[in-house]
Amino acid sequence: MKTRKKGFLVTTLMAVALFSLVLSACGTKPEASNTSNGAGSSNVAASNQLEAIKKAGVIKVGMMGTYPPYNFLNDNKELDGFDVDIAKELAKRIGVKPEFTAQEFSGLVPSLQKKKFDAVISQVTITEDRKKAIDFTEPYITNNVNIIVNSKTNDITKLEDFKGKTIGVGLGTNDESYLRNEVLPKVGDFEIKTYDDVITSLKDLNSGRIDATINNLYALKPIIDKNGFQIKAVGEPIKSDQAGVAINQKTPELKEALNKALKEMKEDGTYKTIFKKWFGEEPKE
Amino acid sequence: MLELMWENVPFLLKGAYYTLYITIVSMFFGLIIGLIVAVARLKGNRPVRWLARMYVSIIRGTPVLVQIAVIYYGLDDYGISFGSLTAACLALSINTGAYLSETFRGAILAVPQGQTEAAYATGMSPGQTMWRIILPQAVRIAIAPMGNTFVGMLKETSLVSFIGVSELMRQAQLLQAQYLLYMPFLLEIGLMYWIMSIGFSAILERVEKRLARAY
Repeated sequence: MKTRKKGFLVTTLMAVALFSLVLSACGTKPEASNTSNGAGSSNVAASNQLEAIKKAGVIKVGMMGTYPPYNFLNDNKELDGFDVDIAKELAKRIGVKPEFTAQEFSGLVPSLQKKKFDAVISQVTITEDRKKAIDFTEPYITNNVNIIVNSKTNDITKLEDFKGKTIGVGLGTNDESYLRNEVLPKVGDFEIKTYDDVITSLKDLNSGRIDATINNLYALKPIIDKNGFQIKAVGEPIKSDQAGVAINQKTPELKEALNKALKEMKEDGTYKTIFKKWFGEEPKE
Repeated sequence: MLELMWENVPFLLKGAYYTLYITIVSMFFGLIIGLIVAVARLKGNRPVRWLARMYVSIIRGTPVLVQIAVIYYGLDDYGISFGSLTAACLALSINTGAYLSETFRGAILAVPQGQTEAAYATGMSPGQTMWRIILPQAVRIAIAPMGNTFVGMLKETSLVSFIGVSELMRQAQLLQAQYLLYMPFLLEIGLMYWIMSIGFSAILERVEKRLARAY
């Protein structure tokens, strides 16, 4: 009886000791990451990010992982797709290995800013608003964005037809801010429903929960091919977006290295091969 | 369909591993936090009691998802940076700790006052009384509601997919995008969560039986 109580006390004390150990371990972490936050020292620390990546031998890349054919899981359960091939090629040219993390799109840019990733390669459209918070390499793809509706829908062919309808769009995407800030004031009232991945929005479109969505055409093909969603693109492209590799501001060396790698890829034909592999056509320049 | 579900079991099990990992780590630290906070609320001086009360009130009064985001994204603004797995464990430990502290507090209060008086009468100090007499009895009372909290938390781990932890829910999302199918994978992970919670319940039942033996 006595030993059992003692055992209880000992376990509790050990647990408390372990806990304080973990806490103190956590306490040391901030110092390591602090350097990139202070205004004064930030230039020194941040400009070394390329060096830091090379030293680690790994570039941490964030992406959605749910956006075929850009980034998705293949049959071997590895991330695959156009973005992934671009990322692998970029990493190879810098001389490091890519390490991918799949996360909802809306969390990708915040995670980049918080230095959880070195780069986000997930069809992040280059916009002036985003440039205030993060930096981009040169664009690596141009996407035409179309209105997409259920095959049975005939009354929506242009943005003006959105009035009174429910329109789905990816949360935190450039398309979302485009709908809210440009289309909504012009066209008048329609409801915007946001999604964390593209598939869910197209699924809802297929089952009639939303009236239309906007997305680029490359994203549609595998979905229609694979499980025959009854959806179609209508009208002329409403806009054309350029996506770049998103990186943190004040990392000029990294930007320069990535831009150089992109340029080389385009020059030696690797880029064209990757593009044709995923989209079945030549890149338009 | 069944074949597809079967084929993807290993991939989902990888997610289940993280789900279990986060659950167990958070349970462990949650228990410690809960115990400390419960004792602080009952025996601490006024500022300590107030702090403990505020902690419980704030944690219980805000969504877990907000707490996860605060720890992962929010603290980062102040230079405190965690990896996503650490942030997940930390957030859920702090969250469970608050719920468990109430369980423990109730359990401690449920131990008859006579026990304390008897302990004092034998010459024990208040500290000794707490550790040797009250807490062992309180833990017994607390076991069943603790089980509730644990099983609840097992399922709440699905929220940490939000910060990019590849736990069960996240793995299922990736599969949904790969095969463009929802129901099979939802059923599959539902089953996995269920099996894990049955496991936890079974363990707790054994612990309960063991503690129920007379001293």
